[in-house]
Amino acid sequence: MAPASKQRSPPLDAQRRGEALAAGLPPLLVAAERVAATVVQGVHGRRRVGLGETFWQFRSYEPGDPPQLIDWRQTAKSDRVYVRDLEWEAAQSLWLWSDGSGSMNWQSIEAAEQKKRRADVLLLALASLLVRGGERVALLGSGRRPHSGRDALQRLALALEREQGTEQGDGQEGEGLPPRDTLPRHSRLILFSDFLAPVEAIEARLRVFAERGVGGHLVQILDPAELSFPFTGRLNFIGLESEKSWLLSRSEAVRGEYLKRMERQRAALADLARRLGWRYQLHHTDRSAEGALLSLYQTIGTLPTARGGAR
Amino acid sequence: MLGFGPLAFASPWLLLALLALPVLWFLLRVTPPSPRRQFFPAVRLLMGLRTPEETPARTPWWLLLLRLLIAALVILALARPILNPTAPWGGEGPLVLVVDDGWSAALDWDARQEAANALVDQAERRERAVLLLTTAPARSGRAQEPQVAALQDAEAVRRQLRTLSPKPWAVDRQRVVEALQDTRLPGPAQVYWLADGLDAPGTTAMLQRLRRLGAVTMLRGAADEAPKLLLPPENEGAEMLVRAARVPADFSETVTLRAVDAEGYAVASTDLTFEPGSAEARQPLDLPLELRNRIDRLRLEREQGAGAVVLLDERWRRRPVGLVTVSAGAGSQPLLDELYYLERALDPFTEIYRGSLEQLLERRPAVMILADSRPGSPSEAASLREWVEDGGLLLHFAGPRLLDTPDSSLLPVELRDGSRTLGGALAWDRPAGLGAFPAEGPLSGLAVPDDVVVRRQVLAEPALDLAEKTWARLEDGTPLITAERWEAGWSVLVHTTANAEWSNLALSGLFVELLQRVVALSEGVETDGEEALPPLRLLDGFGRLVRPSPGVQSLPADSEVVPGPAHPPGLYGSALSRRALNLAEAVPALEPLPEVIGDVAMAPYRAEREQSLMPWLLTAALLLALLDQFLGLALRGLLPGRPHRRLGRLGRRPRRGAGAAGLVCALAITGLVMADTARAQDGSAGTDESYAFAALEETRLAYVVTGQTDIDEMSRAGLLGLSQMLTRRTTIEPGEPMGVRPGRDELAFFPLVYWPITASQGGLDQAGQDALNRFLEHGGTLLIDLLRPDALRDVMGGTNSRLQQTTDGLGIPPLQPLPPDHVLTRAFYLIQEFPGRYSGAGLWVEETDERRHDGVATVILGAGDWASAWAVDARGRPMAAVVPGGERQREIAYRFGINLVMYALTGNYKADQVHVPYILERLGQ
Repeated sequence: MAPASKQRSPPLDAQRRGEALAAGLPPLLVAAERVAATVVQGVHGRRRVGLGETFWQFRSYEPGDPPQLIDWRQTAKSDRVYVRDLEWEAAQSLWLWSDGSGSMNWQSIEAAEQKKRRADVLLLALASLLVRGGERVALLGSGRRPHSGRDALQRLALALEREQGTEQGDGQEGEGLPPRDTLPRHSRLILFSDFLAPVEAIEARLRVFAERGVGGHLVQILDPAELSFPFTGRLNFIGLESEKSWLLSRSEAVRGEYLKRMERQRAALADLARRLGWRYQLHHTDRSAEGALLSLYQTIGTLPTARGGAR
Repeated sequence: MLGFGPLAFASPWLLLALLALPVLWFLLRVTPPSPRRQFFPAVRLLMGLRTPEETPARTPWWLLLLRLLIAALVILALARPILNPTAPWGGEGPLVLVVDDGWSAALDWDARQEAANALVDQAERRERAVLLLTTAPARSGRAQEPQVAALQDAEAVRRQLRTLSPKPWAVDRQRVVEALQDTRLPGPAQVYWLADGLDAPGTTAMLQRLRRLGAVTMLRGAADEAPKLLLPPENEGAEMLVRAARVPADFSETVTLRAVDAEGYAVASTDLTFEPGSAEARQPLDLPLELRNRIDRLRLEREQGAGAVVLLDERWRRRPVGLVTVSAGAGSQPLLDELYYLERALDPFTEIYRGSLEQLLERRPAVMILADSRPGSPSEAASLREWVEDGGLLLHFAGPRLLDTPDSSLLPVELRDGSRTLGGALAWDRPAGLGAFPAEGPLSGLAVPDDVVVRRQVLAEPALDLAEKTWARLEDGTPLITAERWEAGWSVLVHTTANAEWSNLALSGLFVELLQRVVALSEGVETDGEEALPPLRLLDGFGRLVRPSPGVQSLPADSEVVPGPAHPPGLYGSALSRRALNLAEAVPALEPLPEVIGDVAMAPYRAEREQSLMPWLLTAALLLALLDQFLGLALRGLLPGRPHRRLGRLGRRPRRGAGAAGLVCALAITGLVMADTARAQDGSAGTDESYAFAALEETRLAYVVTGQTDIDEMSRAGLLGLSQMLTRRTTIEPGEPMGVRPGRDELAFFPLVYWPITASQGGLDQAGQDALNRFLEHGGTLLIDLLRPDALRDVMGGTNSRLQQTTDGLGIPPLQPLPPDHVLTRAFYLIQEFPGRYSGAGLWVEETDERRHDGVATVILGAGDWASAWAVDARGRPMAAVVPGGERQREIAYRFGINLVMYALTGNYKADQVHVPYILERLGQ
């Protein structure tokens, strides 16, 4: 009984919406202080001399410079010999993931859309910004290498669509946890989910990434009804991920208790992120997606790598 | 059976189950309804949470009440409640059902049958046997057999009741007594008599016998539902006097009588009103002869049964009267001719044949009148006598020729030689008046006028039977009218003339009444006599004509027959000569049942019947159960099409309010719109109708209203003048002319429309063009007048823009100058010029073609300003001078107008004459 079937997007609609959402923001440059061997050359100007294609400066030839670097045209203008320096450009790799579990396919009447859909839109909007900044993005668990360019965005959207399609078939995969995957060191991971699974399970999974020096960002997407619990009367609550159902004769009586539990869950999650050196962000589906994207834009620009990573 | 007023229960002990309802209440209370289902992703966080208070979930009280109501309804239904239960039957005896099934029971036979069936149902419920008895003799030839009084079970009686139908004859209640003679019943019976409300022989005896069986209940209809009997009409001269009888009652009542011809079409209808206190209603039915002779039967509307139908045969046809004309001399002086007086007297109420004796004998009229004439030959006299003996009525009038040949072989009395002259120059006595008519004669009761005197008469030879033969006498006792019966017919002699020569009798009103009486006496000459008449078409109990059933016997020709099983009312004989046997002839006056009939209980037919409420209660319970199901689903949030139910009652409400408001608005708007259109239609219908009536009242000429007052005024005055001239000179008498606006007023009513075209006139709108085109297409005639003689020249040059502009869009056919042999030149007057106010303007007509409108021109174009030439003021004087002038020109203008109207009305009628010279020429060769 997943309501997702109702809200099933037409192919690549999420991509269109994501791009539209991202159109208002300049390309996103992920702060990559970390230079690593794994970093692939990219269009990411680092405001310093290095390997790249863009002209940076001319300087006098110094002994030890390879002779191929001498800019003969410039040298011919005067007596000195000039070397042409290029700006160092490096592309950052980012892995994105949006939770496809059953609990995401839900929406109360206060919410504008389903959590899953909001997660996809945010993911693609972010990816669009990143791709425009020349970064390389990939979907976590897709087994593909990160790519850049519009092509990468397209591929991402298709993968999301496909994921949604397969998910209908083989049930709740992953119980709302990011898949295990081996990421290169110092890459970044951005997770969109409702994070309603037990915090211990989430921690166990995330710690694997953090230990490999992967920096991360958690975006918890929740429905307003999950935050306010507006139910009254005798209700039989049924989970969306084959959990047991729970009968409450007077639902309104447990509201306080529930809200406390929800608060604890969020606090635990925020605490987990802090301990891993990651960022945590909460988003309600009744708010606008633009707000969430803006704060994502601001934080990801300075996304740290994991504290556990070699610095 | 447990009863509470109009409600009773057949199985009252089941009501005890109502005591179990509180238990049910308790059980329903403790069984909570299924909870609503709510999907919720964060259900993990809810696990282990408990509601603090321990109040158990509860079914809402209204749902509980609903379910208890369902249970109570089911229990009540199973207790088999009955509405309007009948009084309990005492004893253990059977049900005795006596049904009146005579002619008078047909009126509401369904109610009777229903009542009988209800009684049989009751008997079945109480397990009683039934004894069914009918009071009318059975249908077949076994009429004399007494009916068998045997107890039967309900099913057999029901079968019998289904086939039972009212009989077209009267009841005989003595039969019931006979049938019950040897009957012994097992116990005191319940006797129900389904009475028809009329007294009949044996009623008292039957009631006494029935009372010995048990308690008697009589079912009877209301007083104003008593059956009516249509009596055979009486012929009263020109009129047919229809009569109906009812049970005497003190209220007035009106029934409608319908006269129907052989095919079943209504010929006439009239209302018969019973005055309070009277038992018979009479109404003359005045019909033209042809219609009257078509009447096949009379029937009362809304009444059923053989009593409400009267079949008519030859006896009610109007008698044809033959006037024997003498070949020569007669008719030369109409006011002296006897036949003239006879014809004037007979014409209003009979059919008159004139002819020689020989011709008349072939046509066999009912009455033949010999006004002072004799049969020419002995053979004629013999056949005349034969005709009288067959039933003809021969009426002689005395006169000079009778005195000449005193052969009294065809006369009722012997005549003395010579005549008696009363008064005169040489006599003492004075012309004699009439004496009173003998009371036993057919003329009795006629008023004797003072001023009728007889100056001369023939005298009968005194004889012993002369007094018997005398129908009328003079003051002194001398016979004036004598008659003798010859077999089936009569020979009647009036001892004076049928003209004013011997007496002024022929000039008096008495003469007409006298002839009416005499003609009414005649019975018509029937073709056959002796043999029995086989049944042709018979009435059934509901007054329908059906094929005769096998048991019916032929009608003896000579004897009086009472309608009964052997001879049901109907038509007997052959298709050519029919004899009607009517029930009413044999039914005595209708009498109500005696008011006091011992200790008999009365009940109406249409009482509230016993009605079982079980089906209704069960249906109600079922519907409520469905509602309960629906509510249960709603409480659990399982109703389809409401995905947002998941969050309970958040939202949604305002939208429903908006929907209701929208609906109210839509309804209000619809109502307004409908009211508006209704008003609009009313308005248009009203004006159209009055306009149509005005236009159709008389033939009218019409002119197109141009909007210019002076032109319109002149058109109107001109057509008025032409109309007056038409009335004066021709048979056309038109009414006042009317102005029309094409497109606004219907043009189809007018043969001729005059259309003056002025310079300032605008073109027609689309509707006007359409209307005029339609008018022309359907053969109307349009006279277009350009009003100025020079205008036509412009037309020919194609420069008359106002004509083009005004007639734009009209389907005006090609025009040609009027050919000299055109019908317009000879439709009434022979004219060759067509001046109006201006002469010599010329006239153009449509090029006619035999295939279009029979070769009649629809458009005539000219510029004569005819209306001005025709126009007259209120005093009939011409209003405008004609140019160049002279009354001759005005006269010719009128002649043209008359020709034109003739042409419009008669079309190409005169055109045929055009070819006459050629035809004559060809014939001459």
